[in-house]
Amino acid sequence: MLKTLVRSIRTALLPVGALLLFLVLWEVLVRTLKVPRYILPAFSSVLQSLGTNLPALLKHTLVTAEETLCGFAISVLLGIPLAVVVAFSKFMRKTVYPAAVTLEMVPKIAFAPIFVVWLGFQFASKMVVVFLVCFFPILINAVFGFLSLEENLQRFSQSTGASPLRVFWKIRFPAALPEIFVGLKGAAINATVGATIAEWVGGNAGLGYAITSATGMFQTDLALASILVLTAVGLAMYGLVVILEARVLHWHISQRQGEI
Amino acid sequence: MPDSIRIDNVKKVFEGRKDAVHAVGPMSLEIAKGEFVSLLGPSGCGKSTILMMVAGLIEATEGRVFIDGNQVTGPQTNIGIVFQSPVLMDWRDVLGNVLLQVEMRKLDREAYEAKATELLTSVGLKDFLHKRPYELSGGMQQRTAFCRALLHDPPLVLMDEPLGALDAMTREQLRRDLERMWLETGKTFVFVTHDIEEAIQLSDRIVLITPRPGKIDRIIKIDLPRPRDLSVVTSPEFARYVSSIKEVFMGYGVM
Repeated sequence: MLKTLVRSIRTALLPVGALLLFLVLWEVLVRTLKVPRYILPAFSSVLQSLGTNLPALLKHTLVTAEETLCGFAISVLLGIPLAVVVAFSKFMRKTVYPAAVTLEMVPKIAFAPIFVVWLGFQFASKMVVVFLVCFFPILINAVFGFLSLEENLQRFSQSTGASPLRVFWKIRFPAALPEIFVGLKGAAINATVGATIAEWVGGNAGLGYAITSATGMFQTDLALASILVLTAVGLAMYGLVVILEARVLHWHISQRQGEI
Repeated sequence: MPDSIRIDNVKKVFEGRKDAVHAVGPMSLEIAKGEFVSLLGPSGCGKSTILMMVAGLIEATEGRVFIDGNQVTGPQTNIGIVFQSPVLMDWRDVLGNVLLQVEMRKLDREAYEAKATELLTSVGLKDFLHKRPYELSGGMQQRTAFCRALLHDPPLVLMDEPLGALDAMTREQLRRDLERMWLETGKTFVFVTHDIEEAIQLSDRIVLITPRPGKIDRIIKIDLPRPRDLSVVTSPEFARYVSSIKEVFMGYGVM
């Protein structure tokens, strides 16, 4: 009991210690080398800027979080059902699926300026970019999962005379959950990146906008403070998916393995 | 006894991208109701393919298969099926895995719970009903698969090397379980194996399959008392069966 506690504290301390060392080095080097503030502010001034600009940054955070969550949610709500349709229909597998794989290769960020033209500077153009960068990993991984049922499991299913729909709910869908979560995690990482870039391209709110407007005024400390908050948003997003995964996939080998 | 299975001039050719592989036949075989028949042959001889054609999971290129007089034209549902791997669902507990059989068939789960528990108890899994497959040993997982194959009380049970992946000691325990289940239920068991002793210990008749393309070399009737425990295995009759089968396979150069 005590041993495991000591061990878990030690495993937690190592990465935290490494981060603290990095921040102390940053602080000391910037101060001793007298690096100009607009090039690289000390970590303490980033924190200070975070403190003084907190109300504004929170407002921007809400904007970005809303775009991220909505874009992600819609990509799940459309991506998973479409993956089911693709898995069931040979026609869709030969038409929609190759198209999706090809579109996955297109840098969707490149469309961001066009969405601004189509949808304006507000919420919609950002959300669509988030949707696009989330949708494809979700769709492609889910299709892959649905189509990867082990041969003997298929044979067992057929020997029960169950309808394809029943096989799907009882076996194919739960068996595909590990792959589905691969897609969801990839999408969660993409989501904040998509939102940030969409806000750079055109907008007047959000953490991406906060970064460009701060650097425009050489307020590098504020830009770094915004990035800090953005990282927290991304971590929260990813963390939510990982927590959900741990709850849903507690039976899966990936959740049971300790150390490699 | 009327026939349970009739295989009539069946042949299977797998069409590959470049060439065709003649896997099975032509072969004919009748299996009586309540019989325990093993298909014994070297690896790759097509014995599993024969079993899958009986199950209607692989289509015969030529010839016909009948179960209870009805021609097999698609997947058969009035059967139990066991594979070399247990193919259990890690998201369900042991009881849930066995009950999956009746859930897939849209039968009332609760009505079968007592029977599933009884089956699992009979193979020593009473204390493991609510464990997950990954918490079980390989032998326990395969016992769970046996119970799943029997839950809906099919008259015919098809087994594709079900003991093939187990260690020697576990294999003997599960072999006894199988023999007991067969003796108690009177079902028709068709068993695919490459293990000579296992086939002799279990079967009423052994069908010796030639190397590819798999055809019937001969059928050997096993006249040994049941249950076939250690005293049977050490008997001279048993040894005679072993050597006569080994001789056949040596003739093919596979031993």
